[in-house]
Amino acid sequence: MDFADPFFGISWLDALIRLVIVVGVMTLVVMYLIYGERKLLGRFQQRKGPSYTGPAGLFQSFADAIKLVGKEDLRPRNADRWVFEFAPFAAFIPVFVILVTLPFAQDWGVRNLGLGLFFVFAVLGLNIVGILMAGLGSGNKYALLGGVRAAAQMISYEIPLVISLLAVAMVAGTLNLNEIVLLQENRPFVLIQPLAFVIFFTAMLSELHRAPFDIPVAESEISGGYFIEYSGIRWSMFQLTEYAALWAFSIFGAVVFLGGWAFPFGLEWGWGWQLFLTIFKSFFLIFLVMWMRATVPRLRIDQLMNFCWKVLIEVSFLLIIVNGFFLYYGWSETILGLVNWAGAIVFIGLVYSRGIRRSRAREYVGTYRNPEAATP
Amino acid sequence: MAVEVLWWLFAILIVGTALGVVVSRSVIHAAIFLLVALAGIAGMYVFLTVEFLALVQLLIYGGAVAVLVLLALMLTRQATGGERISLNGPQAPFAAIAAIGLAAILVASAVVTTWPRLVDDPDAVPLGRISEVLFEDFGATFILVSILLLVAVVGAIILARQEDAE
Repeated sequence: MDFADPFFGISWLDALIRLVIVVGVMTLVVMYLIYGERKLLGRFQQRKGPSYTGPAGLFQSFADAIKLVGKEDLRPRNADRWVFEFAPFAAFIPVFVILVTLPFAQDWGVRNLGLGLFFVFAVLGLNIVGILMAGLGSGNKYALLGGVRAAAQMISYEIPLVISLLAVAMVAGTLNLNEIVLLQENRPFVLIQPLAFVIFFTAMLSELHRAPFDIPVAESEISGGYFIEYSGIRWSMFQLTEYAALWAFSIFGAVVFLGGWAFPFGLEWGWGWQLFLTIFKSFFLIFLVMWMRATVPRLRIDQLMNFCWKVLIEVSFLLIIVNGFFLYYGWSETILGLVNWAGAIVFIGLVYSRGIRRSRAREYVGTYRNPEAATP
Repeated sequence: MAVEVLWWLFAILIVGTALGVVVSRSVIHAAIFLLVALAGIAGMYVFLTVEFLALVQLLIYGGAVAVLVLLALMLTRQATGGERISLNGPQAPFAAIAAIGLAAILVASAVVTTWPRLVDDPDAVPLGRISEVLFEDFGATFILVSILLLVAVVGAIILARQEDAE
């Protein structure tokens, strides 16, 4: 489905031009996301972050990119050649394809797909393949461990992610992302589906393997995980994929939950304001992700899987059932919102109270010094 | 015109990667070829204008089944990439006969059957109609299949956890 007027009247040329614009913007955004993350993490840790290259270190990412392109492209001798070399591209393609359907302003995206929401998470499922290829092809045990962890984690967290999005699609009654945004003209869906937003944000952190779910790429445990053997341009492909996925996910979250370009006053104030709204909301989500990274320590893999299979999936199914009752009997949206807020507060409260509980392991800390105390 | 060219490209891609699955000497390569072939079939569904089915194909077969195959390979094999072993055993000729027989049966049944609608003139089925058929007309069947899958999952978990109990 095309938007109003294709450039030069040719459909595929129009798609190509729009795609080039989106990818160009994406590259620039990724450059400054890396810079922004380093700067932000620096501030969180009471240091300055990059500050030498250019004014306030603004050219740091470009310097890094030039350095990475100049580096030697190493390949281990026991690596599986084609799997190893294609893995970065296989990881990047799904992220690139997602950008096709995201609406950035009213009727402005690459393509307006009728099944946009479903398209996004169908394609996202392929994201794991590149990581698995990197893990299998590197001929390195750390890479293999990272790949196994990434696969287990991403397959598990895809379920709550998809179900929380379906809950929103139920309320919206459509899968077209452009129409979903239009429906949020007066109130963003986060106000009536806060629990779905909490589940989505958690699953998003896990799908992007950002802290506290950065188990597949944990430096201190498996020294970088699946991209341990990569260097130079191929490693920078992985880096590009990671930040492009972060940006695409944030735009997606902003579109589905925060009202995209429509809320507030999106329709009245024109396309400049709409573009600003989309970008601002996505950067707000990215800021939240980086804030989490600076604040929360990494989980263990068993805690991670338990949290997904024993908590998130049940809660998201419950959410679907509650939504179903409200929509079937046509109960008021305000009450639906209130019930969801109550659910979200109880959920966060339970997770928080579980998080701050006194660990049983703490009794053993330091007990090697006086062995009598070791038996509680 | 452009659609025909794309269709042939996809057809060649699917057949080529399907051959790759069989011919490839490394199991990992075969699994990756399988994934590409399954994703290519999703492209074929787009040509038939059943986008929903295409996305389901991508989600289930591309995203889940192929990834599970890769994951199983990771967990069961030695942690090296490119070992090439001959996967052909003495049963190769019988396998060839079985494969040709199956292909003949499939092609014959596809040719003999009178299909309800021409592929040249498809009409897009709205998503609402699919869900009506699935959840209202065949609602009981849907629930039965769900229960079956649930039982299978629980059974698999119990079987996998058996060693802890002993």
